[in-house]
Amino acid sequence: MTAAIRTENLTKTYSSRWTGKRNVVNNLNIEVKEGEIFGLLGPNGAGKTTAIKILLGIIYPTSGQAWIMGHDCMDVQTHYQLSYLPEKPYYYDHMTGAEILDFYARLFHIGGLERKQRIEKLLEQVGLAGDARKPIGQYSKGMQQRIGLAQCLLNEPRILFLDEPTGGLDPVAHIEIRNLILQLRDEGKTIFISSHELSDVERICDRVVMMDKGDVVKEGTLDELLAGGRVEVIADHASQEMHDKLQGNGAIVSLSDGRLIVDVPDDGSVNQVLDLLRTGNAQINSVIPRRKRLEDLFVETMTGGGV
Amino acid sequence: MGAIYAIASTTLGEAVRRKVLLVILLLGVGLLIITPGLNQLSPRQETTVLLSFGLGVIQMIGALVAVVLTISLIPQEIERRTIYTILSKPVQRHQFLLGKFLGSLATILMMMALMTVTFLLVYYLSKHSLPINLLAGPPLFFLQMMILAAVAMFFSTFVSPLVNFFLSFGIYMVGNLANPLFESLSTTENQLTRFGATLIHYVLPNFANYNVQNPIINPGSMIANTQVYNLQVILYAVFYTGILLTLAVVIFDRREV
Repeated sequence: MTAAIRTENLTKTYSSRWTGKRNVVNNLNIEVKEGEIFGLLGPNGAGKTTAIKILLGIIYPTSGQAWIMGHDCMDVQTHYQLSYLPEKPYYYDHMTGAEILDFYARLFHIGGLERKQRIEKLLEQVGLAGDARKPIGQYSKGMQQRIGLAQCLLNEPRILFLDEPTGGLDPVAHIEIRNLILQLRDEGKTIFISSHELSDVERICDRVVMMDKGDVVKEGTLDELLAGGRVEVIADHASQEMHDKLQGNGAIVSLSDGRLIVDVPDDGSVNQVLDLLRTGNAQINSVIPRRKRLEDLFVETMTGGGV
Repeated sequence: MGAIYAIASTTLGEAVRRKVLLVILLLGVGLLIITPGLNQLSPRQETTVLLSFGLGVIQMIGALVAVVLTISLIPQEIERRTIYTILSKPVQRHQFLLGKFLGSLATILMMMALMTVTFLLVYYLSKHSLPINLLAGPPLFFLQMMILAAVAMFFSTFVSPLVNFFLSFGIYMVGNLANPLFESLSTTENQLTRFGATLIHYVLPNFANYNVQNPIINPGSMIANTQVYNLQVILYAVFYTGILLTLAVVIFDRREV
């Protein structure tokens, strides 16, 4: 099966009189499968937006190549299959929501009646049907983001590039946009997200790549990356002897009124804990596996484990 | 064609709402309305003053609108990042540039048409007649502004709006003096000066071709064959604009936005 997005040694170099040559994107090799939600993470200046701009054919790579649905990303015909929601998008604020959608639909050469029907449907889908005749200048940030998503869906794209789709939104708008993205994934669309909102990425992405200063520093599915967390075991009727035996080997143990709480690394040592508790006739109440948090992994990766 | 039309109509819609352009237009209309009052400056040449001042206002305000509007079209799209959303659609860069240029032309045409109608009205109310040759000036001025807008569009692909403002106006001024400048310098003994004058004459657009106030104001001054002259200046404007837009596309196509 053709990858929805593929890059091979994609590099973008900028030259400056003061800083010399700098690789903003350095040998980027990624493959995004059709129908998955892919997250591109990294701190500011990591090269995420530059990578997206190359994939959209807005800027040229210095070397390497990228393909969208098997076609060179510089081929403007690929744009019929994709859509882009930029970070902090700006729309001509004298236009109404319906007018801006009409403008973008014309860029896709969508004919009159079909255009009208699609616009009405999308305004309904993003919850802006009642505000369609309002100038965009009067829209809230959340409404602007929703009209942005609507313009992304005009051409019924197979791939969506979303740059910070939930950035700066209030909690309600945040959840609405997140749910909309999940709904789009369920419809079979491939979604490429660049975001700082790690909790969102953790909830919705299937796979992520972390970039730092143009380089890929970590990649994998979230299950792979966040495995190896910790397990919490809670048991009653435990003794001081059990508490003492469980101390050490990375376990955090506390005992209060016969209730023992053990927090151990998820590396098989939980079985030893359970065996010990059963042998001592303690009553095991719960065993809760806790995955690593993406935020912790991100900080650990970006700081080399120094924080 | 649909994409070009969509971009052009959006550019027009946005331009007519720009306060700075509306102020310039209001200034032009205001000056045209007070034109009959200037007759007192030269009571014996009432018609001459009325015509030369009125046509001069249309031309100068047209030039100001052309430059102020066009210099910011591309940089503003980049600064506001609206260009990213547009170029991520199936829109080629040349279509974007052409759409912006045509939107700019439509705005200039609309504003010049409004000033022309105002001037004709003021002239009629003042003189109770409307000489037909009065209508010859504004269309030629529009062609002049088309070249000027193309100059500004060309520079906007690689210089900042401020630099572009001075460059475009500088070229407009030199181009307006092209004929007398070339005539006086081409006969000089100094070969370098002669070469420089010839170079400027052929490279810079000859805006002077479109300054037809003289035959309108002074009936004694005639253009030998008006139809041939008009055809020549139309072709010149189309050719020159085409060259500038082609160069603009070549530069913009490789530009990082």
